[in-house]
Amino acid sequence: MGSHLAFVLALWRTNLLSAMEYRVSFLTQVVGMMLNNAIYFVFWIIFFARFEEINGWDLVDMFFLFGVVATGFGAGTYLFGNAVRLSSLIASGQMDYYLSLPRPVLLHALASRSNASSAGDFMYGLLSFGAAVIFSGTFNGLMLLRFALGCLASIAVLISFLVLVQSLTFWIGNTNLLTTNAFNAIVTFSLYPITLFDGTAKLLLFTLIPAAFIGALPAEFVRRFDLLQLAQICAGGGIFLFLSVFVFYRGLRRYESGNAIQVRM
Amino acid sequence: MNAISVRNLRKTFQTKRKAAGLRGSLRALWKPAFQDVEAVRGISFEMEAGELLGFIGPNGAGKSTTIKILTGILHPSSGEAAVLGYVPWQERQALAFQIGSVFGQRPQLWYHLPAVDTFYLFGKIYELDDGSLKRRISFLAEAFEIEELLETPVRKLSLGQRMRCEVAASLLHKPRVLLLDEPSIGLDVVAKQRLRMTIQRMNELEGVGVLLTSHDAGDIETLCRRVIIVNHGEIVYRDKVSALKRRYLTVKTVDVRYNEQLAPDFRLPGVEMLKVGRYGAKMRFDTRITPVEPVISGLAAAGSLADVTVSEPSLEDVISAIYARTEA
Repeated sequence: MGSHLAFVLALWRTNLLSAMEYRVSFLTQVVGMMLNNAIYFVFWIIFFARFEEINGWDLVDMFFLFGVVATGFGAGTYLFGNAVRLSSLIASGQMDYYLSLPRPVLLHALASRSNASSAGDFMYGLLSFGAAVIFSGTFNGLMLLRFALGCLASIAVLISFLVLVQSLTFWIGNTNLLTTNAFNAIVTFSLYPITLFDGTAKLLLFTLIPAAFIGALPAEFVRRFDLLQLAQICAGGGIFLFLSVFVFYRGLRRYESGNAIQVRM
Repeated sequence: MNAISVRNLRKTFQTKRKAAGLRGSLRALWKPAFQDVEAVRGISFEMEAGELLGFIGPNGAGKSTTIKILTGILHPSSGEAAVLGYVPWQERQALAFQIGSVFGQRPQLWYHLPAVDTFYLFGKIYELDDGSLKRRISFLAEAFEIEELLETPVRKLSLGQRMRCEVAASLLHKPRVLLLDEPSIGLDVVAKQRLRMTIQRMNELEGVGVLLTSHDAGDIETLCRRVIIVNHGEIVYRDKVSALKRRYLTVKTVDVRYNEQLAPDFRLPGVEMLKVGRYGAKMRFDTRITPVEPVISGLAAAGSLADVTVSEPSLEDVISAIYARTEA
C-alpha cells in the first residue's frame, strides 16, 4: 500500500513537472476556468435575487453545492486526468504502456495525466466554499472535515462513473460520444438543486447518472451533519468504486491493443 | 534454464468486415459481419537465459502480438507460455518487475520532460531506493553515452538519442529479460549501430536475455546468434544466424575486369552470365552446384585479370527469399 502511495505521489509530481514546462499555458487555463465557473454562477445569483429559494434551497446552498462539486471535480480530474480520456486510451491501444509496467493498470492510467484547467475548478471550488461559510455564518473544524469528506466522496463517485461508462469501450468499441454525453449529464445534474427533482428523475440521479452523490448529498452533509447522509455518501462512493474497478478489469481481458504511433505527454 | 518457453501459442482477433460505400455501411449497421483473424498460429519456441534471439518477419507476421502476449499485455486464445517461470497474462505485475520492454512506436519517456525525470518516476514504479537508483542512472548513462542528454527535454532529442534513453529506462531495474519490439525503427545507420552496440554491451555486462523483433536484418545479423523467422503467424525458419548464412548465402556474384579484350563467346560451365562486355563480365553461380575453384581458374585462364569482386546476397535478400518461399 505504501509503495503504491509513493508511486502515485511520484506520478502526480511528474505530471506537475510536465505542466510547469509550459507555465503561461498552465496559468491561462487555471485562470480561464475560474472565470468560466464564476460567470456560470452569476446566473444563480441573478436567479436567487429574484426567487430567494427553490423548495428549500437558497443561494448559500448553491455556494456549498458549487464548493463541493467544483473542488471534487477539480481535484478528481487534476489528480486522475485520464478519467476523461480512458475511452480513447482503450480504443487506440494506449493501455499497452500501463500493462507493461508492474503497477495496477487502472490507477496508473488514471493518475498519469493532469488537466491544468482542473486546478482552476479546484481553486474556484475552495473560493465557493469560503463564500458559503461566510454567508452561512457557521464555521468550525468539523465543517472543514465534512467538506474534505464530502469532496472525497464526490471524487470517488465522479471518477468511478467516468471509468464505468468508458469501460464499455472494451465491449462496444469507440464510446467517445457516449462519454461526452455522460460527462455533460453528470456535471450538469450535479450542479442543480436536488429539490428540483422527484420520483423517477431523483431515482436516476442516485443510480444511472449518480449526480446526487457528487453534488447535492455531500453538499447537504457539509452544511449540516446527518448520520444517514454520511452513510449514504460513504456507501455511494464505495459501491461505485467497487463497480468501476470490477467492470474495468473484466473488460481489460478483452483488450486488443493497437498499432497507433503514440507520444507520452 | 529457459528464460522464455512458448508452446502452441495462438491468438485470434475478431475484426469487423464491411463492404465499401454507403450501402456497405448501412448493411454493417443492420447486420454486422465479423471475421476471425489468426495473428499467431501455434507458435512454439524457447529462449535460453542470457540469449540474444532474433524474431523477425514482415508486417502482420505476428511478431508484436507474440511480444505483447509475453509481456502480459494480451491474453492468448490458446497455448502456453512462461517467461522466467511466470505465466505473463496471469502474473503480469510480478513478471514486469523481472523484465523490461521497449516498443519502438510506443515511447515510455515523458515527451515534455528530460529523460532523467522519467527515470526517477520509473525508480518509484520499480520500487528502487534513491541511492541504488542514482548509481544505476549513472552507470546506464555512461554505458549508453547519454550523460549529456539526460537533462534535455525528450522532445528536443533526436530519434536515435531518444531510443538509447528508452532502452536505458527499460534497464533501470536490472531486468533478466528484455523484450525489444522494433527498437531501430526509423533510425539512421549510425544511430542503429550505436543502439546495437549498447544492447550487445548490456548483454555481455549483465547477461540480460534479449528477444528482439525487427524489420532490419542488420539488427539480427549484428546482435543475434539465433533467429526465428515468422510469417502469417507461423514460424517458417529457426536456426543459428551462421547456419542461415551457410545454408542460404551460397549464391555468389562475380564482377570481373580484364586488361585485354575478352572473347565475344566467353562462357564458364555451371555459371550464369549476367552481362558480358569487351573488357569485363558479371556472372552468378551457386556453390552447391558449381565449386568455386574451377570458376576462379576459368576466370584466370580467360585473360590478364585487372580486378575481381565476389559478393554474396545480403541477409535481407535471404530473408526476403524465405518469405517469398513461404508465400508460395
